[in-house]
Amino acid sequence: MLLPLLLRQSFSPLLTGCVRALHGSSQRTLLSQGEHLLRRRPASRLPTRNHSRKSRDQEEEWRTRNKTVLTYIAAAGVGMIGLSYASVPLYRLYCQATGLGGTAVAGHDTDQVETMKPVKERIIKVTFNADTHASIQWNFRPQQTEIYVVPGETALAFYRAKNPTDKPIIGISTYNVVPFDAGQYFNKIQCFCFEEQRLNPHEEVDMPVFFYIDPEFDDDPRMARVDTITLSYTFFEAKEGQQLPLPGYSYN
Amino acid sequence: MSTAMNFGTKSFKPRAPDKGSFPLDHFGECKAFKEKFMQCLRENTFDNSKCRLQSKEYLECRMDHQLMAREPLQKLGFKDLMDPPPSQEGSKP
Repeated sequence: MLLPLLLRQSFSPLLTGCVRALHGSSQRTLLSQGEHLLRRRPASRLPTRNHSRKSRDQEEEWRTRNKTVLTYIAAAGVGMIGLSYASVPLYRLYCQATGLGGTAVAGHDTDQVETMKPVKERIIKVTFNADTHASIQWNFRPQQTEIYVVPGETALAFYRAKNPTDKPIIGISTYNVVPFDAGQYFNKIQCFCFEEQRLNPHEEVDMPVFFYIDPEFDDDPRMARVDTITLSYTFFEAKEGQQLPLPGYSYN
Repeated sequence: MSTAMNFGTKSFKPRAPDKGSFPLDHFGECKAFKEKFMQCLRENTFDNSKCRLQSKEYLECRMDHQLMAREPLQKLGFKDLMDPPPSQEGSKP
């Protein structure tokens, strides 16, 4: 803040001289302009009364103008800082509105299951995939490779898991839906994910998934060409005090 | 694909199921109903719309054996299978 003031004070006589010279050239001839320039130097050392009042007025004018300019610049700086703080919630709102970055567009209504009407014209193939993490020794596989559903209709699908070892193993699973955009329309009413499931030695169980595809899937123009949705489950071993490893992260 | 940590690329965000997790059917109490459902699926080229009755029966079996929280079947989307009077069947699409 002080630096511009200092600069201004050193430059102001120069500025006033330049301004006067410019004014002079528009109104007087070259000769008189030369006289004026020659006269400028003694004028700065021994200012006459008229000249000093005029230069003081001009200097004051310059100062007030510079002050307003600096105020504007300071306000713009503060505005920029405020905008950078406000950008976080603003960006979040923008992402929610446009669905960028995979954020959920809106939460779905759980009472919708009761009132939704199946869109019978739109048949979607849901394929199933089963994966296990390398450390878990379960045999995990889907019992059907695909199923044809329509949006708005609840559907049931089965996976099978077997523990071939001699000790009980606790597994916990997570799922993935491809394509990602369709994932927001894929609603699971009940399944077997995110909770620890214990299998005793040599035990085999059926694991159902009860889901439906939101009827609004048919209205979304981005989903117009989507005919296949893949549901993929991955089982991990659950150990005491260990967090569920999210797909893609490695914790060790 | 959900491993891509690029800013701006879409990533999948798993959501918890609405009604939570199914308890495991350790004793195979509803295995018969499941087999009926799978049989129906195989016969109908895996068309879910044709096997809704079997899926309803499987869920009812689960509820009977305390393997699922009891809920009115309308809430599970089986409203169209619940109409008992045959006179109304014609009006339903």
